[in-house]
Amino acid sequence: MRTTHKVEITPTSVVLDGRLLPFRESGEALLTEVYRQRVGDWPKFFKMDLLSKVGFLAAELLLEAEGDRHRGGSDRAVILSGRSGSLCDDRDYQQLIADPDDFYPSPSVFVYTLPNIVTGEIAIRNGWHGETMYYALEEYDPAALAAYATLAFTDPQTRSALCGWVECPAHEDFYANMEIIER
Amino acid sequence: MEELIAQLKGKIIEALNLVDLTPEDIDADAPLFGEGLGLDSIDALELILLMEKNYGIRLKNPAEGKEVFKSVRVMAEYIAAHRTK
Repeated sequence: MRTTHKVEITPTSVVLDGRLLPFRESGEALLTEVYRQRVGDWPKFFKMDLLSKVGFLAAELLLEAEGDRHRGGSDRAVILSGRSGSLCDDRDYQQLIADPDDFYPSPSVFVYTLPNIVTGEIAIRNGWHGETMYYALEEYDPAALAAYATLAFTDPQTRSALCGWVECPAHEDFYANMEIIER
Repeated sequence: MEELIAQLKGKIIEALNLVDLTPEDIDADAPLFGEGLGLDSIDALELILLMEKNYGIRLKNPAEGKEVFKSVRVMAEYIAAHRTK
């Protein structure tokens, strides 16, 4: 397996293939800036929870670096992992349903209370029909991710994978370390 | 009615996170689903919630939504006729 592109997103920086990209904002405002500057044609971004926003943008930047948007097909897997899962959105949802006198559970917040939705958002954006997996791990574990990628590659259709760690324990606190790997 | 339509447009933008739209961008007679604003099934559920929360209207039959959510104007007319708050 070989890595073709890598991206790292923190609240204060975006590094693509070792190059720091120039942005002015920080925290969640940085994510909006990245979206407006580098994506701009997927308004569903604004409806996503923080975990999906971070994973989605990391994927967008990797695919931008790759050049070929790789639309459609079943030859690419999405394999992500994180420690906190959807905890940030879970808290938002809990707040919405905490007051019995103001009980209006938002369906659009509820749908993100599953962490694997981030893999679906990436697959939907690109029309991918390959394998998608999300693993809750104690810590970033490249060896475990490599093992999951090896497992995905046992399917002869799968030629490459978008793989990595996306962690969003709370609002304004996020980290993504993702890469494209090929057989 | 025009006042309610204007208010409703603002509430739809807020509830559905249509960040790049202003009330002026929304044609009151354009379809909300399919073409027009291009909303999806989760958005439909949010609109049901919006009507209940803001206007005290509970759609008992979800199939009613297909008619009620035809456009902002149709929605406003339904709200004017059935609102309890």
